[in-house]
Amino acid sequence: MEDLIQTLTTFELYFETYLTSLSADFLNHKKRIFVGYLAISAVMALVFLCAWRGLGVRGAVDKVFDKKIFWSRSAKADYFIYAINRIISILISPYLIAQGAVTTFMFFQLSKQNVIGFLSLDDWPSILIITLYTLTYFFMDDLSKYFVHRCMHRWQFLWAFHKVHHSAETMTPITVYRVHPVESIIYGLRGSIVIGAVIGIFAYCFGIDNFSLATLLGVNLFSFIFNIAGANLRHSHIEIAYWPWLEKIFISPAQHQLHHSIENKHFNKNYGAMLAIWDWLFGSLHFSETGKSIRFGLRPNEASATNIISIYLKPFIEISNIAKYFYTSLVKLLKLNFLR
Amino acid sequence: MISHRLTASALAICVSATALTAHHFYGPYPVTLKGYSGDKTNSVSYGGQIARQTMEQSLKKLASTGNGGGNAADVEAQMMQYFSGPTKDLAILSPVSKDGFKIKQTTIGELSSSANLEGKFYKGLMPAWPGNHTGVDVMKDMISRAAKSNKGFDAENGYDYAQLISKFTMGAVQYSQAVDNYLDEKMTADVKPNDAPYKEGKHYTGKEHSWDEGFGYFGAPAHTLAMTPAAAYDIAKRKDMASADKNGDGVVDLKSEMVFGPAYYAAAFDKSGNTSYLASIMQAYIDGRKVISGAKGEKLSTTELAVIKGHAAIIEENWEKVLAEAVFKYAGSVYKDIASMKEKGVDDKSYRKYVKHWGELAGFSMAIQSGRKNLGAAAVEMNKLIGFGPVTADNSYVTGVDGNGDFVRDRKMTWSDYQLNMLKIQKLAADTFGLKARANDMLGELAKMSASADADTNAETD
Repeated sequence: MEDLIQTLTTFELYFETYLTSLSADFLNHKKRIFVGYLAISAVMALVFLCAWRGLGVRGAVDKVFDKKIFWSRSAKADYFIYAINRIISILISPYLIAQGAVTTFMFFQLSKQNVIGFLSLDDWPSILIITLYTLTYFFMDDLSKYFVHRCMHRWQFLWAFHKVHHSAETMTPITVYRVHPVESIIYGLRGSIVIGAVIGIFAYCFGIDNFSLATLLGVNLFSFIFNIAGANLRHSHIEIAYWPWLEKIFISPAQHQLHHSIENKHFNKNYGAMLAIWDWLFGSLHFSETGKSIRFGLRPNEASATNIISIYLKPFIEISNIAKYFYTSLVKLLKLNFLR
Repeated sequence: MISHRLTASALAICVSATALTAHHFYGPYPVTLKGYSGDKTNSVSYGGQIARQTMEQSLKKLASTGNGGGNAADVEAQMMQYFSGPTKDLAILSPVSKDGFKIKQTTIGELSSSANLEGKFYKGLMPAWPGNHTGVDVMKDMISRAAKSNKGFDAENGYDYAQLISKFTMGAVQYSQAVDNYLDEKMTADVKPNDAPYKEGKHYTGKEHSWDEGFGYFGAPAHTLAMTPAAAYDIAKRKDMASADKNGDGVVDLKSEMVFGPAYYAAAFDKSGNTSYLASIMQAYIDGRKVISGAKGEKLSTTELAVIKGHAAIIEENWEKVLAEAVFKYAGSVYKDIASMKEKGVDDKSYRKYVKHWGELAGFSMAIQSGRKNLGAAAVEMNKLIGFGPVTADNSYVTGVDGNGDFVRDRKMTWSDYQLNMLKIQKLAADTFGLKARANDMLGELAKMSASADADTNAETD
């Protein structure tokens, strides 16, 4: 009986956590889908459609809140995936590597070298340390996102999972959470390793409590700017483009929409999160193509946009096929070279 | 009908309260010695151990009475008497009565007629102190130097002898004797058997008294489980007479109602709410003693001895963690003291505080090395990181002693490098002993720093 009560209490606790977490992202101003950022994005979209595209207010409202998009089968799948991923996140998050552990590891690794001493830069002016830290954080975070994203597209076994995100045929701000859990884990690890290491290095050079991120309303300055600059429009049908020179520096919503295009010529372009300079530097930049209607998604043989079971399980089948292929190729190679 | 129910409920509560109380006290336990015909009814006795607790605390007091050399011979002689005896007629210098906290005993003789510290002091090598001495010789060296110092403080070399002496003794006598003697060898089948008196003429058996002595070294009141860690902490500070005076006779009996060093530190860490060292150790002592009493004066069976060893292991494991928590805590204090001195400049007050904390750090480090276990590489690393002395005001630190026994400070280290050593000590202690209270956790600050970074958006993908 006691076991049963314990189990029920645990279940109740999980359920409560789950319900809270479902709505929490909309109320957390550190998250992209915070209602405030969504509202700002909607206003930006309306202004854009009225001022640049010459639509009337009514027409602009109808386009921004297009029911055919928000209630498409693909969008409904997004919402469902968002709800399922919350459960998975609650269950697996305790087992993921803690950023603090990476920080501590990096800190003590640095203490083994004799070039830079502990706290050797702690007399730098505070404003300089904060600026340097905020910029390093921003660049390293964005660069690592670029590389992981690039790998997601170029490595078959990662593409198997990343396809889930690209299978969306209509895009809404919730599409940002249309991600296979394995991909979420990989991105989470990326953050823990990169940010953990940056903090470890700064703590070693400048002092444990001697630096902090520049913030606005308690949010990382750059995340805040990104979000109020309409980050939610990246996953939408509102094609806001920048001038070409600016699209070499920052990824515009239209550039990211192009990244989701079904057309072959748009494949493997515009991996950047905030900055476009990485795409520019590493040859994957593609300017936006305004005025052309872009079709989102993948071909049916690649991935399903709406079949939830396929969305979650097909990647595993695909990687097992890839593994089998590698195994047989390896065996063949060994036979050819050693057993002739 | 209702009144019947109420009476029944009240009775049930009384019965369960009695059962709870009896279950949660260390003693009294009946005399089980076969053939005993005297009038004693309680076999519990650990006066000698409580006497040593008072000797340790009194030595700490005396260590601060030197005037810079003028009274060195007197102070040293006095300290040596508290260390080596005879102690019977010596006054208890600490703990003593104060307003609102009256202590029953005033002389050591009221607790024990023949106990001393030297005979029970750790005699293994103590490499944490310069000179390559045994533990007992390190203590004699510290006593001699304390007597020559000004109020126990050696600013030049960075030593606070009151802290060093008190904390080292807590390990080299109390911890060492408990875990490496009474709960170890004396809990084997052939040593101090349960079917014979501990000594000719005594009314308790070999095993009963050995276990009691082990308990006495922990320095916890018999009714520890009836109080919170905060109350135990306040008793040691002589602030909570109500919690201490269990029998309500208006005085605190040092033999059964007072909290001494080892139990005090266990309580201090338990106050964090993250640990339960005090209760775990106390429960293990009670459970072990019940097994011995339950044997009713017969030789303990192999199974009973194994159960007792299990309780002894719980005591040792938790006690070791308490000492490691102290090392962890004071490494954090030293780190913070240096940070403060770097920021505000080194003045007498801040430097004094720093040296005090270093004394506690080094003392506890020596204490944890005086146990049953050989800590191996962890001890070597800890000694290397702490050093023979702290980094002093001119950045030099003690590296050894010369032919005359004077300290040599022929190397220098930056404050920052020494702070890094403190962080390494915290990591070493946390990793080696699996700490949970983690007071002054500078590594935690590092992790917090990391957690506060904008990790929320890490998993957001595009």
